[in-house]
Amino acid sequence: MGNARNTEAPSGTAGWLVGAVVVVALFALPLILSQLGRTGEYWIWVTTEMLIMALFAMSLNLILGYGGMVSFGHAAFFGVGAYTVALLMKKAGAPLWLALALAPVTAAIAAAIIGWFCVRLIGLYFAILTLAFGQLLYMVVFQWYTFTGGDDGIHGIPKPEILTPIAYYFLCLVLFLICFLAMRMIVNSSFGLTIRTIRENMERAKFIGVNVRRFQWYNFILAGAFAGLAGGLLCELNRFAQTEFLHWSKSAEPILASLVGGMYSLVGPAIGSTVLIFLKIIVQQAHPSLVETWAIFLGLILLAVVLFAPGGLVGLYQRLTGKSET
Amino acid sequence: MADHVLQIEGLSKSFEGSQVFNNISFSVDKGELSSIIGPNGAGKTTLFNLMTGYHVPDSGRVLFMGKNIAGRQPYDIVRLGIARAFQRTNIFPRMSVLENLLSTVITKNGGNLNVVTPSAKLKSAHERSYEILESVGLADVAHRQSGTLAHGNQKRLDIAVALALEPQLLLLDEPTAGMSPEERWQTVELVQRLWEDLKITMLFIEHDMDIVFKISQKVRVLCYRTLLAEGTPAEISSNEQVIEAYLGEEV
Amino acid sequence: MSVQFYLFLLVNGLSLGMLLFIIASGLTLVFGVLRVINFAHGSLYMIGAFLAYSLSLLLTGGSLFSFFVMLLVVPPLIAVIGFILEYTLFRRIYRAEHLLQLLLTYALVLILDDLVRVIWGGDPRNVARPDFLAGSVNFFGMALPSYNVFILFVGPAIAIGLWLMLFRTRAGNLMRATVSYPDTLGALGVNVSWVMTSTFMLGCWLAGLGGVLMSSFANIDLGIGMEKIIECFAVVVIGGLGSVGGALLGSLIIGVGITWLPVLLASFGVQEASRWALVFPYAMMALVLIVRPWGLFGKPER
Repeated sequence: MGNARNTEAPSGTAGWLVGAVVVVALFALPLILSQLGRTGEYWIWVTTEMLIMALFAMSLNLILGYGGMVSFGHAAFFGVGAYTVALLMKKAGAPLWLALALAPVTAAIAAAIIGWFCVRLIGLYFAILTLAFGQLLYMVVFQWYTFTGGDDGIHGIPKPEILTPIAYYFLCLVLFLICFLAMRMIVNSSFGLTIRTIRENMERAKFIGVNVRRFQWYNFILAGAFAGLAGGLLCELNRFAQTEFLHWSKSAEPILASLVGGMYSLVGPAIGSTVLIFLKIIVQQAHPSLVETWAIFLGLILLAVVLFAPGGLVGLYQRLTGKSET
Repeated sequence: MADHVLQIEGLSKSFEGSQVFNNISFSVDKGELSSIIGPNGAGKTTLFNLMTGYHVPDSGRVLFMGKNIAGRQPYDIVRLGIARAFQRTNIFPRMSVLENLLSTVITKNGGNLNVVTPSAKLKSAHERSYEILESVGLADVAHRQSGTLAHGNQKRLDIAVALALEPQLLLLDEPTAGMSPEERWQTVELVQRLWEDLKITMLFIEHDMDIVFKISQKVRVLCYRTLLAEGTPAEISSNEQVIEAYLGEEV
Repeated sequence: MSVQFYLFLLVNGLSLGMLLFIIASGLTLVFGVLRVINFAHGSLYMIGAFLAYSLSLLLTGGSLFSFFVMLLVVPPLIAVIGFILEYTLFRRIYRAEHLLQLLLTYALVLILDDLVRVIWGGDPRNVARPDFLAGSVNFFGMALPSYNVFILFVGPAIAIGLWLMLFRTRAGNLMRATVSYPDTLGALGVNVSWVMTSTFMLGCWLAGLGGVLMSSFANIDLGIGMEKIIECFAVVVIGGLGSVGGALLGSLIIGVGITWLPVLLASFGVQEASRWALVFPYAMMALVLIVRPWGLFGKPER
C-alpha cells in the first residue's frame, strides 16, 4: 500500500506540518535577517531571488514533471514577463501592480502562440522546437535596439517608494504562496490528472478520449503564465531586464532545478532551485577563485544526479523513508 | 441500417507500398459478440487501428451508427462510442489502478477541464470507478500502482478502462494474450459476462480457436489482404477455404 | 552590386557551410547510431580549436608542417576524449529517457566549457594560416581567400569519405544496421556497444577536425562551442536527424544563408542587417520543424 499515494503534492498531517513550519519560517526570516546589517540585506535579496527562481522552476515542472514535455525554451516566457514589466514601467510609466498583473498575461499570449506549434511535435522534436522558438525570441529581443534596448537591456526600472527590500520580499513570498497553492490545485484537479495520463501514456490518453494536443497546449500556456510572473518579479528585484533572461541557458536552469529537486513532485523543483542557488553562493564565498568554476561544480552535481539519483532529492527522500515514487 | 453498429465498406490500406487490405467490407450487428481471426500479419490489429482513428484508410469508409468515422481523430471516435483494449497492455503505469479509471471516467464525463476541484474529491466519479473495478474484479487492488500489477490484471485493467468509456462498440485486441491457460478462461468468462450484463456490441481478435469458437456468435477470417470468410463458428470450421488457408496446420 | 560580389559571397558561404558540415555530420552520425543528441559536441569542437591553438604555439605557427601536425594530432585526441566519455558516461544512459540523456550531455557542456576557460582563459585567439593558404587565389577576377577555397575541397572530401565508409565498408554497414536493428544485431553476435563507441569516436574526430579548421578560419573564443552547437542543431534539424546527406544540405543552406542574408536585407534597406541575419538559423529550424519535422532528408518516425 506504500505506493497508494494519489496526490503528488505533500499530503497527510506530516506534510501539512512541515509546510506550516516552512511558511512561518519564511515569514519570520526577514525579521531575523534585518538585525544583521549588510549581510542581512544581502541575504534578504538572495532569498527573494530564491523564491522567484523557485516559482520559475515550479512553473516549468507543470509541463516537464507533470506533463512529460521537455521544453528547452521556457526562459522565453520568463523573459517576456520581465520585459513586460520593464517596458510598462520604464516606457509607459505603469504602476508596479499593473505591470506585474500583465506580465503573466503577455507571457501566456507568447506561450499560446509558440505552444500552438510546439504541441504538434513530441519528444525530442518538441524539445528542439521549443529551443528554436526560445532562441528566436531571444534573438529578436537582442536585435531590436529601439524597442528592447538590445544587448544593453533595460535598466533603471522605477521602484515604488514604499517598496523596501523587506516589503518586496514579502510581496514575492505572498505571490509565491498564492502560485504554489494555485499549482497545487491544478495538479490535483481533474485537469492535472488528465495531464498526467498524457505524460504516462500519450497514445492511451487519446483512446480514453483526451484531445492530447489541446490539453498540452493549455498546460503549456499555464506554465508560461507562471514563468512570466516569475520573470516580472525578478525584473523588479534587479531593476533591469536583460537578454540573458531569454537565453536557452536560462531555460536550462529550471530543468536542472527540477532534476536535482525531483520532477514528480510539486515542491521538488522549488527545493532543487533553492539548493542550487545556495550551493552557488557557498562555493563562491568559500574562495573567490571558485566563482569561475561554479559551472564545473554544477556539471558534476548534474552528472551525479543523472547517473545515481534520477528521482532527485525528493526521490532520495522517498527512497530513504520507504515511500515509493508516484 | 439500424441494426448495424458498424459497417466497413471497401476499406483499403497500404504501408510503404505493401498492401495490408484490399477492399474489405463487412458489417457488425448491434449486440453481437463476434471475433476476427487470421494468421499473423493478416492485419487484424491494423483493422482496429483503422476503426479507431489511429490510421487513416487509403480508401473506403468506416460507418459507425451510420456515420463515416474514417480519418477522424481517436479521441473523437472514442466520444462517439467506440472503445478498445489493447493487445499489448496499454495503461497508465505510474498511476494507481483507481486513477486509471478515475481519469477515464472524468474524461468520459467531459470534466477534465476542471482545474479547481481535487480529483480525489469527485465522489460520483469515484463511485463509478469502483463500480467498474468491481465488475472486472480489481476493486481490492484499487490503490496499487497499476504498473506493478501482474500481467493478467493489467489486461483486465485495460478492459476496465475501455468499459469506463461506456462504449456502444467495444474492440478487444487479444484479451487473453500472454496469459496462463487458467487466466485465459477467467478472462473469457469475464468478457462473456460483461457482454451479457452490459448488452453492448463486442468485437475481439483472438488466436486461441477454442475461445473463438466457444463464445463468438460470428467469426470473420482475415487472410490474403481480404476477408476470406464470415459466418457462425460451425460454418467457419467447416469452410474449406479457411481450413486450407489457415486452420489446416492447426486443426 | 556586381555578380562577382555575389559569387564571392557564395564561395564564402559555401566554405562556412562546409566547415559546419564537418562538425554537424559528427553530431548527426552520433544521433543516428546512439539516439543521443550530444550537446557537448560543440564543446569538443571548441576544445579541438583551442588544442590547435596551443599546438601552433608549440610548433612554429604558420608553417605547413605545424598545420599538418595539427590536422593529424588534434582530431584523434578529441576522439580519445570521446572514447573516455562514451566508455564512462554515455554507455550508462542509452536506455534512459531523452531528458536524462540531454541533461547528461548538458552537464558535460558545463564542465568542458568551464575547463576550457580555466585552461585557456577568456581572450579571443587565432591561429595563423599556413603560408600556402594565407593568400588568395584569383578566380574569374575575384580574389578568393585560399583558405576558404581549401575548405571547399576538404568539405566534399569528408562527405565522400563518410559516404564511402558508410555504404562501402563493413564498419559502415554495421553502423547503418545498428540504426535500424540494434537488438537483432546484438543477437547475431555483433558487438553493438563497440559499434556505438566507434561511431561516437568518429563523431568526436569530426568535431576535432572542425575545430582545427575553424581555428585558422576565424577568431576562437569561449563562445564558439555554444554558438556552433546551436548552428549544428539547425543543420541537422533541417536535413533530418541522423541523416548525413541531410547535414550536408542543411550546412550549405545555413552557411550560404548566413553570408547572403545580411547583404540581401541591406539591399532592401533593412537597418542592422547583419545582426538580423543571425536570426536565420533559428527561423529555418523552427520552420522546418513545423512544416516537416523529420527534416528534408529524414523519414517520419512512427
